[in-house]
Amino acid sequence: MKPSAFTYHRFDDLADVVDALTTFGEDAKLLAGGQSLVPMMNMRLARFGHLIDITRIESLRSIERTDDRVVIGAGVRHCVLERDELIESAAPLLHAATPLIGHFQIRSRGTIGGSLAHADPAAEQPAVAVALDATFDVVSSRGARSIAAEDYFIGQWETSMEFDEVLRSVSMPVWNGPVRVGVAEFSRRHGDFAIAGAMVQLQVADDDEVVRSAVAVFGLSSIPNRARSVEATVCGRRLGDVDPAEIGELAVAGIADVAEDAHVSSAYRRSIAVAMVAEAWQRAASDGRQDRP
Amino acid sequence: MNEMTVSVRVNGQPREIRVEARKLLADALREDLGLTGTHVGCEHGVCGACTILLDGDAVRACLMFAVQAEGCDVVTIEGVAGGAGAMGDVQQAMHECHGLQCGFCTPGFVMSITAFLEQHPNPDERAIREGLSGNLCRCTGYVGIVAAVKAAASARARR
Amino acid sequence: MSTPEDGGAGGASALVGGNRFVGQRVQRREDARLLSGHGRFVDDVTVPGLLHVAFLRSDFASGTITRLDVEAARALPGVVGVFLGSDLNPAVLETWVDYEGGPRGRPFRVLAEGDVRFVGEPVALVVAVSRYIAEDACELIELEVAATHPIVGHDAALAPGARPVHPEHSSNIAETVEAAADPELDRIFASAAHVISRTFDQHRYACVPMECRGVVSVWNPALGELEVHISTQGAHGVRGFLSRALDVPENRVRVVMGDVGGGFGQKMFMLPDEVGVVLAGKLLGRPVKWIEDRRENLMAGQHAREDRMTVSWALDDRGMILGVRGDLVADVGAFPAAGSSSIGFVGVVFPGPYRIPRMQYSARAVYTNTCGRSAYRGPWLMESVVREQMMDAAAAEMGIDPLEMRRRNVITDDLLPYTTATGMVYSETSIAASLEQAATMIGYDEFRTQQAEARAHGKLLGIGFGLYVEPSGLASGTMSSEAAVVSIGMNGKVQAVMSSGSHGQSLETTIAQVVADRLGIDVDDVTVSQGDTASAPFGPGTGGSRSAVILSGAAEAAASKLRDKVLAIAAHQLEAAVEDLQIEAGRITVAGSPTPSITLASVARASYRDRSALPPGAEMGLEEKVRFSPSSGITWSNSCHACVCEVDPRTGAVALLRYVVSEDCGRMINPDVVEGQIAGGVAQGIGGVLLEHCAYDDHGNPLNVTFVDYLLPTAVDVPTIEYGHIETPATTNPGGYKGMGEGGAIGSPPAVINAVADAIAHLGVRPLRQPLSPMAVRALLDEAGLAVSPA
Repeated sequence: MKPSAFTYHRFDDLADVVDALTTFGEDAKLLAGGQSLVPMMNMRLARFGHLIDITRIESLRSIERTDDRVVIGAGVRHCVLERDELIESAAPLLHAATPLIGHFQIRSRGTIGGSLAHADPAAEQPAVAVALDATFDVVSSRGARSIAAEDYFIGQWETSMEFDEVLRSVSMPVWNGPVRVGVAEFSRRHGDFAIAGAMVQLQVADDDEVVRSAVAVFGLSSIPNRARSVEATVCGRRLGDVDPAEIGELAVAGIADVAEDAHVSSAYRRSIAVAMVAEAWQRAASDGRQDRP
Repeated sequence: MNEMTVSVRVNGQPREIRVEARKLLADALREDLGLTGTHVGCEHGVCGACTILLDGDAVRACLMFAVQAEGCDVVTIEGVAGGAGAMGDVQQAMHECHGLQCGFCTPGFVMSITAFLEQHPNPDERAIREGLSGNLCRCTGYVGIVAAVKAAASARARR
Repeated sequence: MSTPEDGGAGGASALVGGNRFVGQRVQRREDARLLSGHGRFVDDVTVPGLLHVAFLRSDFASGTITRLDVEAARALPGVVGVFLGSDLNPAVLETWVDYEGGPRGRPFRVLAEGDVRFVGEPVALVVAVSRYIAEDACELIELEVAATHPIVGHDAALAPGARPVHPEHSSNIAETVEAAADPELDRIFASAAHVISRTFDQHRYACVPMECRGVVSVWNPALGELEVHISTQGAHGVRGFLSRALDVPENRVRVVMGDVGGGFGQKMFMLPDEVGVVLAGKLLGRPVKWIEDRRENLMAGQHAREDRMTVSWALDDRGMILGVRGDLVADVGAFPAAGSSSIGFVGVVFPGPYRIPRMQYSARAVYTNTCGRSAYRGPWLMESVVREQMMDAAAAEMGIDPLEMRRRNVITDDLLPYTTATGMVYSETSIAASLEQAATMIGYDEFRTQQAEARAHGKLLGIGFGLYVEPSGLASGTMSSEAAVVSIGMNGKVQAVMSSGSHGQSLETTIAQVVADRLGIDVDDVTVSQGDTASAPFGPGTGGSRSAVILSGAAEAAASKLRDKVLAIAAHQLEAAVEDLQIEAGRITVAGSPTPSITLASVARASYRDRSALPPGAEMGLEEKVRFSPSSGITWSNSCHACVCEVDPRTGAVALLRYVVSEDCGRMINPDVVEGQIAGGVAQGIGGVLLEHCAYDDHGNPLNVTFVDYLLPTAVDVPTIEYGHIETPATTNPGGYKGMGEGGAIGSPPAVINAVADAIAHLGVRPLRQPLSPMAVRALLDEAGLAVSPA
């Protein structure tokens, strides 16, 4: 299984990447970690006349904290995110979700930008982005623009980026005060793509009252689902009064577009999602972490 | 043929090869550098037989093009010895714990375990099994391999 | 981890040299090169001017080829040749393997010609300067197929009027075993207190060695000689096959088997694409290499195991089995490999460890438009999969505990030698003992208590057994013997050249252990070589759990003859009686007297250069060859697997909590090797039951052709395995060894299936087909009406 031929480009500057994309159009593809792209090329399920290697662009590898956001360069590798103290303190949900991506050898190369732009429905980082209303900073020859997470993912392996746009960074809001996070996913084997999973971030007051929550379900539909109905329901309730099973059912109830394939039925996938939301909720509820605002 | 020159440090030695852009790093190591210890088992990044260290991180050589390794530090199984033909501690542990049979997956495991123990010097059994889950073996049932990781970790802790 | 009972001293075989190595966990000689990346697998072989092969394979399961245009492919720079079925098929004269002894009517063609018969069937063979370019060329080939509706599955193959997969045949029946009329059995069934019938399915899965197949072929037209390096389980088999197929005298064919990355049956005999590579190289007069890629291996490298068996058991009131009827249908795909259909053997081995007085059996193997079948580690194991599930099913129906049910029916030692209803004779088995040891190790009674408590809390725990006997040391046809040539060189070092080679079984170590003990030398002073037809005596290849029995039998016998000769020469030189001499650490002395002594090296030197130093009439040299056949065509070993699992009611996921194997493979040469072989087999059984599946859709499209869809078990999926060893030495060979290479894969599927079934039996549902994916188990729970509480 060898890939078909292509012309290889490698740039140190994002501006050159933008130029190349503009020049080569849809016959070009960005090469970041390659952990999703290269298998498809080896199987000749994907072929491009031009590959543009963006892994040496310094400006894509920064992690910065502003007062209420963490801005992560698209080229930051998963293994770096896992070990980064700023991510651990200011983006705990991302920090909890990233180690679930594949195996550590995949995380040695894979990047957050690659994962987001690839938009696999079963991927973890898109779900985190949707849960937290992240924004995506995107550039092209037409300039830069910002895309909200809820507008970014539009279908299986489909984002609202134009073919000549490059994801430069993703910006995650930082919640003021301590947060609790829970991540749960179910897959056939450790490290496999999730059949379904859930991300939960909570803020709980001293009296155990839920003051803020973010819940997202992934693997169920072609894009991550934000469970706003759950968030509305739990707001103001005591954490101890919330039944995780009820949360699970509610999160999934409103979702109409549930994937079905030769291996997994939609009914089964739905039941797994329910279980995973409940499990993620329970993990968040019992998460003892104290966040530094 | 559209060939490019790639300069890469391999097992401590500076090397230069000329390859097509699409040539996979695994194939370049094996064919252009004569380092056949890195094995190809699937070419889609699942089996881990092709695992090498790139700038210290364990990566799947079948998911990289050789041209991407420009200027990088590559360590293959041939570079993981204990010096003067002796086995490194991970290899020694695999030997003592009967961690290999046909040997085809073995180089990938040695490289992955080497990287894993750097990040997890004191792993429990669950962490070991999860850490090993990115490498497939068909002969051993993983019994000897898990034992080898435990043995290597203990030996390092004692030192 | 393990509770070994090491071989140690003593035992049935009178080893004069003592047991310094046999029975010990000697670390492997193979490891040094394999751990340092210096193994020599077929893809590591390169010769100057080597060209590379890629295949264009059919995307259709069946249909007529209406267009096949290779001109663009031929014209691509870097392409040296493109071959079609019309080029290669006529050039192949004979297609039977050594084991078959002659043509058996097995369908075989190198490339599809005129029509295609399974997805993945090779249609064109491209030779180019690199695999990359060869694949580019394949994409330029224009292939059009007028598809016909494919035959997929047993029912379609056997449907009245079904289109034959092979038009030259009149039906899809590849092989038949007819049931013999048995009025006595009919009477037994008619009058039995209980008759229980079930149909069991075993799904299709595959060997999946980590190293795919591969071949490097070098034809030298000037010498008329062929040299082939191949990832195979049997070099001589390849030599014989190629010699007949390509009409090259076998003494001008050299086949080299280097390090092989697993085979498990898939690499036992040559397959069409491999033959095509050799033939293409010969026609071009250029050296060629083909390395199968993983997609090819999963799609077209041969599959295994797809069986359906209906059984009826007649039982008395105590659950004693009075008679068995069984009918098997095996799906062998379009082009089964030689020896892959073991439908006869399933019936022969079926009675297994139980006193089954009478059995009637019939079977059919059927062709379908799918990938052909190969042998796979215990190819007949449907007998254990069915019998052990049936044991539990019958026990449940009769309200008897499944362990108790087995205890009532097992063949106990006092009944040995025991002749089964199918004519097999067991003499050195320990069936009841292994059942008891497994039950004790797994803590059966305590488990039942735990299970009841767990059920009260909605936790689903289950326990399952897989009790079986293994026909090891298979010695029939070309597999009847193995040979060893053992020699001592001028400097006293020993070489053993063996007839069949290792593909992971540690033969370089175990054979060295046997020879070293026999000769009274260090195991490091013996090297074992194998797998090169230029030097190795004829062998059938490794398979059939034969190596410990037959290869070591040959090595032991040859080493014995050498020892006798050494002692005869030493006796002559020391002026002592042979009976008074001993060899220890390479020195020969009179027992009880450390001096005078002479070294093995000096005896060897004398044997090669100083005729006067030898006893009168002695032949010079220290080289002995023995071809050994065990005294029986089957050396029975036995084992009991026991497994505890937990089923997650939310997801249907199965976790294996404990896994125990009580095994008796006679005297163990190397307990590490025994345990390692068992563990590998157990992992394959676990993978087979829970994860692996070569599934096809109704159009004959294979669904699991990458490792993303075909799921192999990882270190997380295989539990720690606990071992109990029983050593009842075999009498079929002087070492007392029995084989167990396949056993791990035989006992595990029933143990795991039974454990899952036991976990949910109280809900009134029982799985009848696999894989037991979480979805499948969840569906059974749904069927049982189990409400799911995600919390």
